[in-house]
Amino acid sequence: MSDDAVRSTTVYQRTVKDVLLGIWGSIARFFRLMARNRLGFVGFLIILFYFIVSFLGPLVMPVDNNTKVDRIFERPSWRHPLGMDHQGRDVLSQVVNGGRDILTTALLAALISTAIGITLGALASVIGGGVDNLLVMVADIFMAIPQIPLLVVLAGFVQVSSMALLALILAVLSWPGLFRAVRAQVLSLRERDYVEAAVLLDLGTGHIIFREILPNMMSYIAISFAFSMTGAIYSQTALVLLGLVPFSSQNWGVMISIAWTRGAIFYRDAAVYILAPVFTIAIFQLAMVWMTRSLEEVFNPRLRARA
Amino acid sequence: MRAVLSSYYVRQFGKALFTIVFVTSLIFFLIRLMPTNPIEKYVNDLMINEGRSREEALNEARNIFAIDLDAPMYMQYLDYVSKLAKGDLGMSLLSRGTPVADIIKTVLPWTVFSVGVSLLVSFIVGALLGTVIAYRRGSVLDPIVSALSSLLSAIPSYLQAILLIVVLGVTIKINGKSLVPITQMRGAYTPGIQPGFTWAFVKDAFFHAALPISVYILTTVGGWTLAMKSNTINTLGEDYVTVARARGLSDGRITTAYVGRNALLPLVSQLAISIGFAFGGSLLIETYFVYPGIGKRLGAAVTNRDYPVMQGIFLMITFVVIFSNLFADLLYSVLDPRIRVGGKGE
Amino acid sequence: MEETIVQQLPWSKGQAEEALLSVRDMWIEYQAARGAVKAVRGVDFDIFPGESMALIGESGCGKTTLGLGIIRLLVKTAEIKRGQVIYRRDGAAVDVRSMDEEQLRQFRWQDCAMVFQSALSAFNPVLRIRDQMYETVKAHRSASRAEVTEIAHPLLRRVQLEPERVLRAYPHELSGGMRQRVLIAMALLLNPPMIILDEPTTALDILTQRTIIDLLRALQSDFRFAMMFISHDLSLAAELANHVATMYAGCIVEYGTVNQIFYEPRHPYTLGLIKAVPTVTGDFEDLSSIAGTPPDLIDLPSGCKFHVRCPLATRRCKEEEPELMHIGPEHAAACFYTDEVERQADRAWEEIRNPQGEPL
Repeated sequence: MSDDAVRSTTVYQRTVKDVLLGIWGSIARFFRLMARNRLGFVGFLIILFYFIVSFLGPLVMPVDNNTKVDRIFERPSWRHPLGMDHQGRDVLSQVVNGGRDILTTALLAALISTAIGITLGALASVIGGGVDNLLVMVADIFMAIPQIPLLVVLAGFVQVSSMALLALILAVLSWPGLFRAVRAQVLSLRERDYVEAAVLLDLGTGHIIFREILPNMMSYIAISFAFSMTGAIYSQTALVLLGLVPFSSQNWGVMISIAWTRGAIFYRDAAVYILAPVFTIAIFQLAMVWMTRSLEEVFNPRLRARA
Repeated sequence: MRAVLSSYYVRQFGKALFTIVFVTSLIFFLIRLMPTNPIEKYVNDLMINEGRSREEALNEARNIFAIDLDAPMYMQYLDYVSKLAKGDLGMSLLSRGTPVADIIKTVLPWTVFSVGVSLLVSFIVGALLGTVIAYRRGSVLDPIVSALSSLLSAIPSYLQAILLIVVLGVTIKINGKSLVPITQMRGAYTPGIQPGFTWAFVKDAFFHAALPISVYILTTVGGWTLAMKSNTINTLGEDYVTVARARGLSDGRITTAYVGRNALLPLVSQLAISIGFAFGGSLLIETYFVYPGIGKRLGAAVTNRDYPVMQGIFLMITFVVIFSNLFADLLYSVLDPRIRVGGKGE
Repeated sequence: MEETIVQQLPWSKGQAEEALLSVRDMWIEYQAARGAVKAVRGVDFDIFPGESMALIGESGCGKTTLGLGIIRLLVKTAEIKRGQVIYRRDGAAVDVRSMDEEQLRQFRWQDCAMVFQSALSAFNPVLRIRDQMYETVKAHRSASRAEVTEIAHPLLRRVQLEPERVLRAYPHELSGGMRQRVLIAMALLLNPPMIILDEPTTALDILTQRTIIDLLRALQSDFRFAMMFISHDLSLAAELANHVATMYAGCIVEYGTVNQIFYEPRHPYTLGLIKAVPTVTGDFEDLSSIAGTPPDLIDLPSGCKFHVRCPLATRRCKEEEPELMHIGPEHAAACFYTDEVERQADRAWEEIRNPQGEPL
């Protein structure tokens, strides 16, 4: 067969199977890289576990809404591993159901915040001049104002009824962090050889930003994303505990708030009811911090070359 | 003249001033332009619930919010700013007749006290611990302290507060009494003791502030430790440390003037940021420990929609935080000669 | 009872007991993840008062480690496995290795100063130069600020700096070249009998190099300190050294006077180094470099460590490691075929002299 014929048949042989294998290969590689840092890998698994349980769990374990007066603050047992709350309802199912809203809002907030941060950061450093100065000043001002009080006051003025709105507010308050980091990185990377090469080859600003600079910042971005999420969870829960975000749904923060006001702190048996959501949130935040260590290694090949 | 204007200090001061102006204006416009305008709502409430005429209601609103609703916007703004300059922050809605400024004067000192003490202790302990670990890298201490530090900083402060209360105050009971007398520790000082600079009072004040201070310290000491550790390790690798040893300087001198001072510098600028966080955390922590600081008061004001108090306290907190930032910046420029000229040397 | 009596080296220019510094059988190893790095393997030499010795070698041959080892300034992962570093002053001799912390601290800078490669970050950024000068002196003896200032002024002028301005300045306010000169001035503060310089000109531009070289020569003739400088630049040795030792894979492979090393090299490595230095008039075809790369100090080859890159290597070189052998007055080389090297060296110099008809 002629060379051309061989080449064309080879091209057509890339089937769906190949694509799937390729994806599977990438996933496997990702897992292997994450596993290099043991603590980080544990964190990663925990996060994965949380997501699976929070989004799929409610299908398996719906919330028990029946008030059973005779089982108030019942101690943990095999059937109800986390005991009962102040209305005799199972605590475990509440914990399983409590993550969905929190995680969704956190993801949304982190996504918006990261998107804003990256876009503005890249724009500011590439365009420079007055635009840059203005954006930097705005970011500085945002960072100077204490976050929680601002959030609290905003929540006092604005009715925060939907998850999306809450996510938006959280994102608007947290973008300056990533903005600054992206801007600083882009400014320093601009001097690097491969960027100069791209500029010399006249590859276009968009290409330079998205194909040269950003891929080298991936670890930074991933870690900032993770921190955005932890920050969002911190802020959300704080708002819920202060009673500023309406209790419309199942939510770990809501559990803590109700447990607190219903006197769980006075009865020893009820300690589980309040401690369960507290530990749930605490462990999630911890796992996030651990996971960022693995993320650093995954995205930064230079860190991988450890003997 | 140009030299003065571009002086580092002037620039920082200007930025701080601008931020304050921005924040005060933000609050002003929030109140005026929000769809659920609290002032209008208040006026309506008065008219409906108490049968007041619009004029009377407006008058009262003017007093309480320090804002005149009928005057044109720019006049309202000027009025607002001038009142602020005089220290008039309006009157509380909840506690009728109490000026917001007075409320702040009562609660702010306690927060400053508890946050200030915590910050100092946390910073010093963290810096020392971080240095020790950096010097003893292979030892048993290193992984333990590092793990503990990241653990403590990851868990939100208010959750740690709840944990403390539940575990120490409720769960662990010896002879029927809780390990830590939490209920007794509420408030800023035991009623009956005379406030003043007496030893008895100071001791009592510390007793009551012990729980909030503990939580602040626990939450922040890890961060300082890890930061100081990594800074110290970096500094130890610097050329001038090797040269200092070659010059025959004593280990003590090197640890303090060469390693310590250079490693500490970046931490000073972080000091400013942590003040902001501390005020933020104070909201929930003071609520849970029933400590009458500015955080708790803000929380109560927000829950009760006491807008003048909300506005006044928020302004106050922002003011304090921004000026702490400024102070920390200035402190940093004093400590690091490379910054002073407002640019690179040579 | 510490041992301060050393073996006499046949090729030393004088009696060992008259030398300022005698190094014997020095072995230094680092611990790396892959294994032990044998950076210095059995080094012997003497340095006499007022003379200057150049230690020349490629990067990674252990020369900096040797320098640091003399004043015991190695990193924690490095260890002096064995050896003597005998320092003699006013008739007394002491082994630097047996000094306690306090003695060692006093020894450093006062008896032996070390000037590092790049002075860019050699100074504490938060202290003024005068404070750093003052504390250097204070660390060794009591002195007032006025006294130190008096000592510092002429030294700074000697290195062509303006004393007032420099003393008052912070390190970042001075240029790189200025900082290098301040470091040299600081090294002379306590009038040490010996100064070690690690790559003193490598980080500098060619004009500054010239200045520093001339400065060092002048300072040495004025202050009469012994100088050991470490470099990969053979031409530096030509300018400043009385004796040259070439180092390869942790050993000294040749030692001699500067004239001997240049005109009568007896080790293939030394010859290679010389041939690699371009002459002012030279044609580029004559330029050669030594093929291959420096050996892995963790996993050293057998026999003579240079045999892998040596054009004269035989089976014997692969099996036996040659020791430094006395081959002439003040001249030693570690090679079995020094005669062959002599022939090649003579030929090379002939070729260089021939085109112009003038010796260099």
